Amino acid sequence: MRFFDCNAFFGLPMKRPLAPVATAEELLAEMDRAGVERALAWHVAQHDASPQMGNELLAKAIAPHPRLVGCWTILPNQTREFPAPQAFFQQMREARVAALRIFPSSHRFLARAVSLDSWLGPMAERRIPLILSVRRGMDWRDVYDFLRDVPDLLCILCDHGCWGQDRLFRPLMERYPNLHIDLAQYLLDGGIEALVADYGASRILWGSGFPESYFGGMMMALKHARIPDEAKEAIAGGNLERILGEVQL
Amino acid sequence: MIGNSELAREFWETGKSATCPIYDMHGHMGVFHSIHFPRPTAEDMIRTLDEAGVRMLTFSHHWALFSPDQGNRPAIEAVRRHPDRLRAYCLVNPNYPENTAADLAQFEQHRDVFVGFKFLAGYHGIPLTDPRNAPAWEYANEHKLLVLTHTWGHSVVDGPGVLREIAGRYPNIKLLMGHSCHGEWDAAVALVRDFPHVYLELTALFDDRGIMEKFVREAGSDRMLFGTDLPWFDPHQAIGVLCNADISDDDRHNICHRNAEKLLAPFLG
Repeated sequence: MRFFDCNAFFGLPMKRPLAPVATAEELLAEMDRAGVERALAWHVAQHDASPQMGNELLAKAIAPHPRLVGCWTILPNQTREFPAPQAFFQQMREARVAALRIFPSSHRFLARAVSLDSWLGPMAERRIPLILSVRRGMDWRDVYDFLRDVPDLLCILCDHGCWGQDRLFRPLMERYPNLHIDLAQYLLDGGIEALVADYGASRILWGSGFPESYFGGMMMALKHARIPDEAKEAIAGGNLERILGEVQL
Repeated sequence: MIGNSELAREFWETGKSATCPIYDMHGHMGVFHSIHFPRPTAEDMIRTLDEAGVRMLTFSHHWALFSPDQGNRPAIEAVRRHPDRLRAYCLVNPNYPENTAADLAQFEQHRDVFVGFKFLAGYHGIPLTDPRNAPAWEYANEHKLLVLTHTWGHSVVDGPGVLREIAGRYPNIKLLMGHSCHGEWDAAVALVRDFPHVYLELTALFDDRGIMEKFVREAGSDRMLFGTDLPWFDPHQAIGVLCNADISDDDRHNICHRNAEKLLAPFLG
């Protein structure tokens, strides 16, 4: 199986975690130790410091490392803090960045079309995925409201928690065909099999939640899930490869 | 491959190990209000145990967490159906102290089924040290039983301060700190260092990178116990973490089976 992580970061968070991973090189060393081939990575400064500073740090850090694809962070642009989408997408292409994140509650805005309109249409047209994290920046009501506003956008819902979230995310899976979910923190016994049986494998992505979670946990769970091998390959990395291959910057 | 040891390779390739059986010391059973379980029955769970090489699960039935008079019964029946794979913890609910004598009598009547008690103070809302819990603690202490208690960092009902009092008061029990005072890691380590009969139970810690290494380093793997809250968490996820963590195969053996084998020996004949 070839693993392509949709949900990993590096950089030192403001509050010290148990096992911080400061640099892209340290992330790659841990990926090597675990047998992870590639990662869609972001820099924690995008959340803790500022999106602009974090985006810049990420671009510099991943530049020498083709195994890392970047994921930047955006804000509503009524405050003119970012270039217009066309110019921003050009910067993304130059920096090997292929996906975006938002952290609405931390960055003090609402995840609604009225706030993010100038980004959302062009992103949907260009198939640029937007990553939403329930652990950082969005609660479930935000997620529900946001998806209602932007059904055409390809979204990846990450970090949805380990204490039983099926009743929260399954209605969204059924309503929004562009919604994908990652497996970081989806520790539920038999959960992967049940999801694949109900929704197929094409919208499920392996993500680690690294460095807050170990790579190996959900890798092992996926490897030994009772699902067909082709479903495992798709979830481990094939789906993310397909999604990023469709991005037009 | 998630780790480079011989044991990690075996687990990765086959999902289980011939030389490293697993004893899961923190399980449940049955449906539960706040979560959807794909595999909630005893038979579903046995299938999971088989797939992950788990030799034995010690558990409390979800019903028993809230109503021991109802819930201890299906636990007894499940152990009777699968005596080689299951043992149970008996529940008491201190909100109904008038029922405690009957719950203890049930324990006495089914000594081959139960290995000890499970406390859930965080849900029951009554501190472990409350006098309403005392009869069960005293019974456990007298009979040298295992006690698995839910613990959580900074909790006033089952946090480290309360546990320190309990550990000092009942030296004959084996005190399994479920979730290892989650988040108050240093306090959990201090408890293990100060009391030889206190253990770190690892359910819900397999999602916290760095904790396995910290506990092995500071408390020792001979005081750590494998647990998953099954049917909540996939044992393969926990195994993957143990294989990926920067610890030795000797530590993995301690955590997966050696420590549990010693604790369960008096109860397995």
